[in-house]
Amino acid sequence: MLTTASHKKVLHQLNRSFLNEVGGLSRFAGRFFNQAFRPRYEIAEFIRQCFVIGYKSLPLIGLTSFILGLVLTMQLRPSMVSYGVESQLPAIVGIAVIREIGPVITALIFAGKIGSSIGAELGSMRVTEQIDAMEVSGTNPFKYLVVTRVLAATLMLPILVLLGDAISLFGSWIGINIRGATSFHLYWTQVFDNLAFTDVLPAFFKSFFFGFAVGIIGCFKGYNSSKGTEGVGISANSAVVVSSIVIFILDLLAVQVTDALGLN
Amino acid sequence: MAKKVVSNVKLGVFVLAGLLFLVILLYMIGKNRNLFGSNYVLKARFENIQGLVTGNNVRFSGIQAGTVKRIDIINDTLIEVTMVIDKKMSKIIHKNAVASISTEGLVGNKVVNISPSKIPDALAKDDDILPVKKAVNTDEIMETLYNTNSDVAIIAAGLRTTVERINKSSALWNLLNDESIPENIRISFASIRSTTGKAVKIADDLDKIILGVKNGEGSLGAILKDTSLVKNLNDAILTINKVGNEADSVTVEINKLVKGVHEDVSQGKGTVNALLKDSMMVKKIEASLDNIQKGTDGFNSNMEALKHNFLFRGYFRKLEKQKKKAQ
Amino acid sequence: MDQLIKPEINEDNQELNEPVLKIQNLFKSFGDNHVLIDFNLELKKGESVVVLGKSGSGKSVMIKCVVGLLQPDKGSVIMFGKNIPELDDEELDRIRAKVGFLFQGNALYDSMTVRENLEFPMRRTWIQFSQEEVKRRVVETLEDVGLAHTIDMMPAELSGGMRKRIALARTLILRPEIILYDEPTTGLDPITGKEIIELMNEIQEKYNTSSLIISHDMKCVQTASDRVVVLIEGRCYAMGTYKELTQNTDPKVNEFFE
Repeated sequence: MLTTASHKKVLHQLNRSFLNEVGGLSRFAGRFFNQAFRPRYEIAEFIRQCFVIGYKSLPLIGLTSFILGLVLTMQLRPSMVSYGVESQLPAIVGIAVIREIGPVITALIFAGKIGSSIGAELGSMRVTEQIDAMEVSGTNPFKYLVVTRVLAATLMLPILVLLGDAISLFGSWIGINIRGATSFHLYWTQVFDNLAFTDVLPAFFKSFFFGFAVGIIGCFKGYNSSKGTEGVGISANSAVVVSSIVIFILDLLAVQVTDALGLN
Repeated sequence: MAKKVVSNVKLGVFVLAGLLFLVILLYMIGKNRNLFGSNYVLKARFENIQGLVTGNNVRFSGIQAGTVKRIDIINDTLIEVTMVIDKKMSKIIHKNAVASISTEGLVGNKVVNISPSKIPDALAKDDDILPVKKAVNTDEIMETLYNTNSDVAIIAAGLRTTVERINKSSALWNLLNDESIPENIRISFASIRSTTGKAVKIADDLDKIILGVKNGEGSLGAILKDTSLVKNLNDAILTINKVGNEADSVTVEINKLVKGVHEDVSQGKGTVNALLKDSMMVKKIEASLDNIQKGTDGFNSNMEALKHNFLFRGYFRKLEKQKKKAQ
Repeated sequence: MDQLIKPEINEDNQELNEPVLKIQNLFKSFGDNHVLIDFNLELKKGESVVVLGKSGSGKSVMIKCVVGLLQPDKGSVIMFGKNIPELDDEELDRIRAKVGFLFQGNALYDSMTVRENLEFPMRRTWIQFSQEEVKRRVVETLEDVGLAHTIDMMPAELSGGMRKRIALARTLILRPEIILYDEPTTGLDPITGKEIIELMNEIQEKYNTSSLIISHDMKCVQTASDRVVVLIEGRCYAMGTYKELTQNTDPKVNEFFE
């Protein structure tokens, strides 16, 4: 009896903290939309954040994407060969990368890099009162720190996904050429021959949502960081964990939506 | 400040590179789907489109020519397929080009194939409706095969009667036994006999095959897909037919010849006459016999091919087994 | 027994000097934790008031209510004739341009150089400064705190005392009329702390600012204050000059002055 009671209590608390989290995040997102489209616009800071969030993430995304394309191709080859459809390898890899693996893996790595850095940066700014200092310096810290970062993450992730896709496909071409010889031109033709708009566009659009999720969750966690250095660590860590989970949930929703719209 | 400009440039390059890839991606797909560039519309009406969907490729003699844009059901037996064709093809596709639906690869997508006709016609214009060729599907192949079989059966029967006529021809028998008739003529006639004997055997084999197919022996029907087989069979039947006709005329000639020889002999006109006749008639007969030989040989090889065709292999193996059992 | 010692207000002075900051009946609580209970304070032009209290006594909450970072539950904070809790963002920004706030942990922007830290308030306030003015004032203010050579350094490269000076310079950059100091000597060694207090006094003289200092450091209270307010359990417990309070016999007040 006692255990069930304590279980219930734990569940209750968990539930409350979960709902509290969801509610807080929703309010935070509401505040973002409320503030994002009103002056003043922090254009210079936005561009700086785009540079930091987008351009600076490219080496990491590029490396992982390249390896991903290469490994995926080499792993797929044996089964493709056993079915006698080795020539379909570029088509399969192309569709897999463009539709699903590219956006999701890129978003997850993005969450790991950017989500944690936003969480830690804003967290430490909160803890050391830098956010308060901004506010007393006549700056709306929400606009200056949160809006710019969320917008930058939302707009930069799709770009990273596109470049990641391109690099993945290049890696895949290398992978194909490790065990065979396919000209780049033929490979490219085979990839594109089997792609449709319904492969590219839903994947492209969902990466905006992934970017937004990483940005808003990272900012939410950092902006509401608790005091102390421990708080900063928790912010950074939970930003990555929560945004990774949300990416998968969004991915699930995206596939349902595209399915419902008949775009599959 | 200089640092800032550099980082802005880098950001610009980064963003543009990403967007460039997107544009390339969309353009390449669009190009494959004929969304860009000028094109025109051709239509074709099928009874059965076999799962063709919009967006499937249209090929002209194997060259990518366009895509299927729309599929409309006109009535319960007719489906109109609207195809968007590259403008470049407008100088190549004629009105009498034939559209058909087939499958790309073993398990691939459906495609519309437009094949040129050898007969000249005007070029196809926008909104023209192309004639269609019924798609080759398994059921239809089987049906064709059954028809062909019955044809073969009839022909084989004819062949048999002809051959039997030759065999039973008393005139021929007499001739062969008649030592007054020159040796070479007799040899020729003997070869006619053996040829016709072969023909009988062929006819028997054919009968058996037909029986087998009709009874649905093995999984023959289910995997029968090779249209070339049907064509071969048809060719074979034509040959047999020809052989039969030839044999018929040979019989007539032989009868004539035999009659002439007998008359000559009985009227005591001597062998000179016979030899004269011989040189003309025999040549004719020999040529005919040659043709028969060739025809039956051809048919034989067709049958041999048939035996080796994997579809029929099982059937022939079974036949052999039965033979062994019988022994 | 709430207020053992009545604040001695110089009547003549008050008539001459309308207070620049007037806190009246301020209440603030977080849940069941009542941090400020009916807090009152006045700050006159050119005056330097120290709010003395233990940690957790509500000093920081009070000072954050003053600058609008926290919204009080009840009461008013009148600065330059405007009630801070009732202002909208735009009006608040105008008032804030006249108020400097030195944070306990300096709150220097880690990602920016010293120059950028100092330029930040100037570029972002509603007052328009020319490029030259910004440059000139950054250098001038850095010279005031004696750290002109650090202009292109990052905050992380500086020592604790230097960071405090830079933070002070950033607080000064808009030439505020009131400066709020949140524990200015905490975390510094006594000598550096003394230097900072001297610097604060210099600045007060040079720019004729009013100062509201919260601290628990008696050195700071002794050297920097015109008046001292003792804050105990969210209330204004005692008030007077340093000298007056040292002679106070109340045990709670005496605690601070032993």
